[in-house]
Amino acid sequence: MSNVFDERLAAWLDGALSPEEAAAFAQELERDPDLARRAAEWQANDAFLKGALAPLAEAPIDDALLAQMGLAQPAPAPLAANDNQPFWRRHALPLGGAVAASLAALLLLAVPQRGAEPDGLSLALDTTPSLAATRLADGRMIEPTLTVRAADGRWCREFRADGKAALACRTDKGWTIEGEAAATGPSPTDEVRLAAGSDGAGLDAAYRRIRASDPLGQEEEKGLISRGWNRR
Amino acid sequence: MIAALPRLRRFCQGLVGHVQDGDDLMQSTVERALSRAHQFVPGTRVDSWMFRIARNLHIDRVRAAGRRGQQVPVDELPETMGEDGRATVESRSDLAAAQRALQAVPDDQRAAFLLVVVEGLSYREAADVLEVPVGTIMSRLARARGRIEQVVGRGPGVVQ
Repeated sequence: MSNVFDERLAAWLDGALSPEEAAAFAQELERDPDLARRAAEWQANDAFLKGALAPLAEAPIDDALLAQMGLAQPAPAPLAANDNQPFWRRHALPLGGAVAASLAALLLLAVPQRGAEPDGLSLALDTTPSLAATRLADGRMIEPTLTVRAADGRWCREFRADGKAALACRTDKGWTIEGEAAATGPSPTDEVRLAAGSDGAGLDAAYRRIRASDPLGQEEEKGLISRGWNRR
Repeated sequence: MIAALPRLRRFCQGLVGHVQDGDDLMQSTVERALSRAHQFVPGTRVDSWMFRIARNLHIDRVRAAGRRGQQVPVDELPETMGEDGRATVESRSDLAAAQRALQAVPDDQRAAFLLVVVEGLSYREAADVLEVPVGTIMSRLARARGRIEQVVGRGPGVVQ
C-alpha cells in the first residue's frame, strides 16, 4: 500500500481529515476489505499502546522528585489571628542579623535599569506566583514570598534568593530593590517558618519606608500577574 | 507547570523507553523550562512547550550518545517479536510490550505518535512541538503505525 494511502488512513484514525475526505474514506473502507482490516489493526494497536501507557500519567509525582526539580510547594505560613504586629513581623522569614554584610549581595540582586530587554529577575518577579520557586538562567533560585502595594502605588514583592530576603518594587523599567536582608533560615524550596527568634529588621525598615499595604490575596496577585501588573 | 508533569513524564518515558531515563529527561526538561521561563509565550500551552523542550533534550542526548539510525530491521528485533514471540509479548505486561513496540519506531516517528495518539495533540499542535510542517506529522504517524504493525503483528485485541 502506498504512503499516500497510509497517510490517509492515519489521518482518518486521528480525525484529521476534512468531513468530505472522511466521508470519501469511509466509502473506500466499505469497498476494500483489506483496507478495512488494516484500519482495524492500526486502530487496535493505537488503543493498546495508549491504554498501556495510560498508567504512566496517573502515578503521582512524589515530593522528593518535585523538590529535586525545584518545584517544591511549601505550605503557606499560618497567620496568627490576634496579632497586632505588622504582617511582615507576624510571618517574617527567619532572617539573620547580618544585614550589613550584604552590600555585595544587594549589588548582585540589583536589577539593571538600562536596555529594553527585561532581566531574568524582573521576569521572574513579573511572572512567578508567591511561594513558587523559579530558577533563573544563571542557576539562582528565586522564590517570591508575598506581594504588597506601596503607598505611592507601586507593586512590591518580597522574595528570597541566595539565602537572602529582599523587597523589590516594580517600576516601568523593572523591579528595583528597596531593601534586603540575609536570611539564615531555609532555602527557597524549604518550608517557610514563623519568625520566632529571627531578625527581620532589614526588611522592616524597607516595609516602613514604602508604607506597605497588607499582602495581597492569591487571586488578586494572580490577576496582577496575568494583566502584566496593570491594575485593570 | 506542575499540572503538566504527569503527562510530561509519560511522554519522556515513551521517548526514551525506560522509567529511570524517562524521569531523568523529565527532570532536565523541568530545569530547562524553569531557567527559560521568560521564553514561554503566555497564552500558549505549557504542556506543548515542555514537550518541545523534552524532545530537543532527547535529540541532544541521542546525538551525544552517538547513536544514529534508530530503525531496526524486523529480523534483528529480539525474539519476542516472532510468531512464537507474540505469545511472549502478550504474556508480559502491556507496558513492557508497548515500550518494546515504541522503541522499534524511529525517534522522529515515535515522538509524533506519542504526541498525537497518546497525548491527544492535534496535528497542528504536534507540528508546533516538533517544529515541522503538518504534512510531516501526517507521514510520520503513518510510518510509525506501519512500523508498529510490523512489530506487534496481530497484537492484543486485534480483530482477526
